[in-house]
Amino acid sequence: MTCEPAQLWSPSDGLSTRVKKLRGEYFSFYERDHFRNEVQAFTTGKPYDTVWAPHQWGVVPEIYMFFDAYRDSLLASASTVKLKAGFRREPLIVRRALFFREVVTKHLPVKILDGELIVGAHFNTALSKTHTKSEAKKYNRRIRKWLREARRLNAAGVGNCGATPGHLIPDYPEVLKTGFSGIHDRLTSQMKNRADAKGRNLLKAMLICCEAAAGFAERCAGEAERLAENEPDEKRAGELRAIALICRKVPWEPAETFHEALQSLWFTHMLVMAAESYPGPGLSYGRIDQYLLPFYRRDVSERKITREDARELLHCWWIKHNYAYDYQGRIGTNQGINSGFGQLITLSGCGPDGEDLTNELTLLMLEVIGEINLLEPKPNIRIHRNTPADFLLKVCELVSMAQGSPFLLNFDEASIRGLKWEGLPVDELWNYAPVGCLENTLQGKDRSGTVDVNVNLAKAVELALNDGRDTATGERLGPATGDPAAFHGFDDFFTAFKKQLSAILDLIIGCNNRADAIRARFEPTPYLSLLVEGCAESGKDITQGGAVHNFLTVQGIGFATAVDSVAAVKKLVYETGQISMPELLRAIRANFEGYEPLRQALLNRAPKYGNDDPAADDIAREVSRFWTEAVFREKSPATAKRYRGGYLSWNYWISYAPSTAATPDGRRRGTFLSNGICAVNGMAAAGPTAAALSAGRLSLETAPNGASHTISLNPTLVRDGEHLEKLAGFLRAYNECGGTALQINMITPDTLRAALENPEDHRNLLVRVTGYNAYFVMLGREIQNEIIARESLNLG
Amino acid sequence: MSNKQGVTFNVQRFSTEDGPGIRTTVFMKGCPLKCAWCHNPEGISFKPQLVWYDRRCIGARDCLKACPENALKLTPKGMIIARSLCTVCGLCADACPAVALEVIGRKWTAEALVDEALKDVTFYRASGGGVTISGGEPLAQPEFVKEFMASCRAAGLHVALDTSGFAPPDVWEECVRLADLVLLDLKTLDESRHREYTGVDLAPILDNARRTAAFGVPVWVRTPVIPGYTDSEKNIREIAEFAARHVPTVERHDLLSFSNLCTSKYERLETNFPLRGRELLTKETMERLREASEAAGMKNAVWSGPTRIAEKE
Repeated sequence: MTCEPAQLWSPSDGLSTRVKKLRGEYFSFYERDHFRNEVQAFTTGKPYDTVWAPHQWGVVPEIYMFFDAYRDSLLASASTVKLKAGFRREPLIVRRALFFREVVTKHLPVKILDGELIVGAHFNTALSKTHTKSEAKKYNRRIRKWLREARRLNAAGVGNCGATPGHLIPDYPEVLKTGFSGIHDRLTSQMKNRADAKGRNLLKAMLICCEAAAGFAERCAGEAERLAENEPDEKRAGELRAIALICRKVPWEPAETFHEALQSLWFTHMLVMAAESYPGPGLSYGRIDQYLLPFYRRDVSERKITREDARELLHCWWIKHNYAYDYQGRIGTNQGINSGFGQLITLSGCGPDGEDLTNELTLLMLEVIGEINLLEPKPNIRIHRNTPADFLLKVCELVSMAQGSPFLLNFDEASIRGLKWEGLPVDELWNYAPVGCLENTLQGKDRSGTVDVNVNLAKAVELALNDGRDTATGERLGPATGDPAAFHGFDDFFTAFKKQLSAILDLIIGCNNRADAIRARFEPTPYLSLLVEGCAESGKDITQGGAVHNFLTVQGIGFATAVDSVAAVKKLVYETGQISMPELLRAIRANFEGYEPLRQALLNRAPKYGNDDPAADDIAREVSRFWTEAVFREKSPATAKRYRGGYLSWNYWISYAPSTAATPDGRRRGTFLSNGICAVNGMAAAGPTAAALSAGRLSLETAPNGASHTISLNPTLVRDGEHLEKLAGFLRAYNECGGTALQINMITPDTLRAALENPEDHRNLLVRVTGYNAYFVMLGREIQNEIIARESLNLG
Repeated sequence: MSNKQGVTFNVQRFSTEDGPGIRTTVFMKGCPLKCAWCHNPEGISFKPQLVWYDRRCIGARDCLKACPENALKLTPKGMIIARSLCTVCGLCADACPAVALEVIGRKWTAEALVDEALKDVTFYRASGGGVTISGGEPLAQPEFVKEFMASCRAAGLHVALDTSGFAPPDVWEECVRLADLVLLDLKTLDESRHREYTGVDLAPILDNARRTAAFGVPVWVRTPVIPGYTDSEKNIREIAEFAARHVPTVERHDLLSFSNLCTSKYERLETNFPLRGRELLTKETMERLREASEAAGMKNAVWSGPTRIAEKE
């Protein structure tokens, strides 16, 4: 069964003319002669100014080679912002706030598109760091030092790290409830009780940022009024006047209507992206179907709007988020980076007593997801023990629509076990929400830092087999653990593996500690701080660990590759003796050239994780617990943020394939590592139930940030109501015995091959890559082939 | 538990096409029928069989050294297995690093097979699934199958029996009484054609079918729809009428369209697939037959399986 391109997630015919037009306009980013959201840089005009810094992009190793170009060209293209006298005498945090206010109240464009109901478009900035000359000198020196180490570790295939912005859930509901005016009042009274200069400076900066948000909305109101005056269409003029009224009110005042709530939410959200100079990634909304519900219900019950009005407002709101990709349309595409912003919304899920919280807005939003077909905002649906049968079936129906789930499924009980393990307050855990893709956090008070560090677990296998040295370069990366040929048994090998794993964790965490310290010292973000509980109270900016909860996450890459490698050595070298260690080492050094029978034995005669086979799964559990527990003992010295583990492999399982030597699971250098907690490609031969049970056996609570698990299903599974019920049953069982999150690809290899041949006909083809959706034809060829190779589990 | 052993040729987890919910289907090896269209030819013989997969073979030749009978010869055209010499000892398969040689046929105790089935119990419970015992013909290994079904029931698992209905009356009664659901294959109601297509008499099958309702077990009738054999509307109507009339516990009629995905299986077994190259049926045909079944008195007729796209007229 293949799908015609037109069937693949095209927008529904039911969209209004307005929404179709806005959606069409967005998709014309190849044809448009102007960018609405290209990076706009703003500088103080000082020659030593910085508007772009590499350590914030350290987790995007593909662009390391462009770092200098980005930094220099953005500074060269930056508009100079005039600043009042006395600016330079203010402390850094106040300077940052003043600069931000100046940009959003005077410079950031406020273009309103024809037909838009939610306004505010430009959020992609590169803002001055507003350093003094001596600050700039120290800052640049420390960045250079960090970068040297980051480049070394990335080149060696150890991993990457950086002080990544975004990736948290701000306290948006507070803005809806009290407005920035309410927050302003609270901060003002906190100022009265605050004596320390540091705390007072932070509050002062936050107050400036509150005003900045209001000032920006005022400008949008002005633009709407201006357009209304010149608008010949009376209906549109009326809409523009209504927009102006709303923008005069929110986000400064509390929102009262559904429209006001959506507008307030969008302003608040887009300004975080502008303030952090980070367009989109991981900046997430949390449980939006819960906190927007009162607005929706009131408006509908008071007949202010109909369900259809609300739907159109949601469509308009939805489209805005996609402008995060706008500027990337032309600068080229690489391996899905263009498709990975992950402004995540969370739908459904349990309440404090385990009851289900699905409501009429959840259902409306599900419909919107099904009909609008856009990458952002990315939805994540919480499934739990008491998820109602009809809702689960609806979810399965959406999964079945032509090409698979447009959202991730998050499993409450398993996710909550992890959050409890990491010590978050038990009575709040029901209200957790994922960030970015599937990274579990608390809402509004958790600087979750979900993608700061990525470590290649499979590299530790290479080092254990090569006495701590990189196989290709001979560079020492880990301790000398000895010649493996001299190991006395499996325990010696496993111990060496663990020592090497600890060593590379130390390296990558050490490197990240530098980045975290630079961010804390030189890059306060007071606008974000005022949106996260704990910062005003603690007197510390969010970058300095001011939030109530502070984490940095280490995401494990190549997990199954590492596990299968250890399992193969255990079985074939130390148990059956079929392969001798010296022979294995020779084969690996030769990248298996001339060792095909040996490689086949490694592939076929050793236990593989992902098949519900304890011989592999027990090792998997031990490896997972070992490294995640080690990570949890670490804190960043500069900010006391605690490290914790997770399994979001992003696209690094491809990046580090060439820099990881051949592995004893039979993988050649260059073949992709495993992704998330998935089995090695093609190795999950026992089907999805076995894959789920293997994942569930990992004891994933020690990786509390969540674990990416993908299964690809053949469309025959969902061909009719009877089979949708089976999928629903599968998901229910997964909730009981599987991992924390699941994404389902429902697509045939034939469809993908057709897309490779005729990319133009398949521009809408969305696929899940690791934790994110991507347009298939915009992915790199390597990822495209990998998706095609990914085992499609035939259920027919 | 006794030490009776059964022989399977496959145990399929996450099976979604052999009864309600998510199931584990146990395929017992050996069948007294010889249906021309059989899509599991490795399930016909009761004996273990050695097969060679050319796409997996890397030419390592470990198998040749391992064979004590000198029964293997690797030629440019592929592996030649001298079946007259081969004792199916399996040493060659054990020696092959690439698993290009495989002995089809695995022995199980009922206890071990129940343990295997219990692995997915969470999925059965959540989906209303369970275990399906299929084949081959499971009732051709009656002692083992009875013990396995009884053990599954004792473990609280829903058990479906997928059978041709060709079994002695006492075996039929004992096994059907242990089942929660019978998936009964009815291919044709024409005596002589039945003998021609399957090699066995129809009468004992229909006798068994008629007695099933007396045991109070629900039945899903299944008909393989094979072009040129069983795909006439008349045939489907007759089966549906029979079931509606004589099997009062019948709940559903499954029409399974002809599949040619088994062609390579025949090649590996070095046997002839009589329907090699035959075209798949169309969706339209399957839908028409489904309607015919319902018109003839089946309340719930469902078709599934591969189809071809109808050519434009």
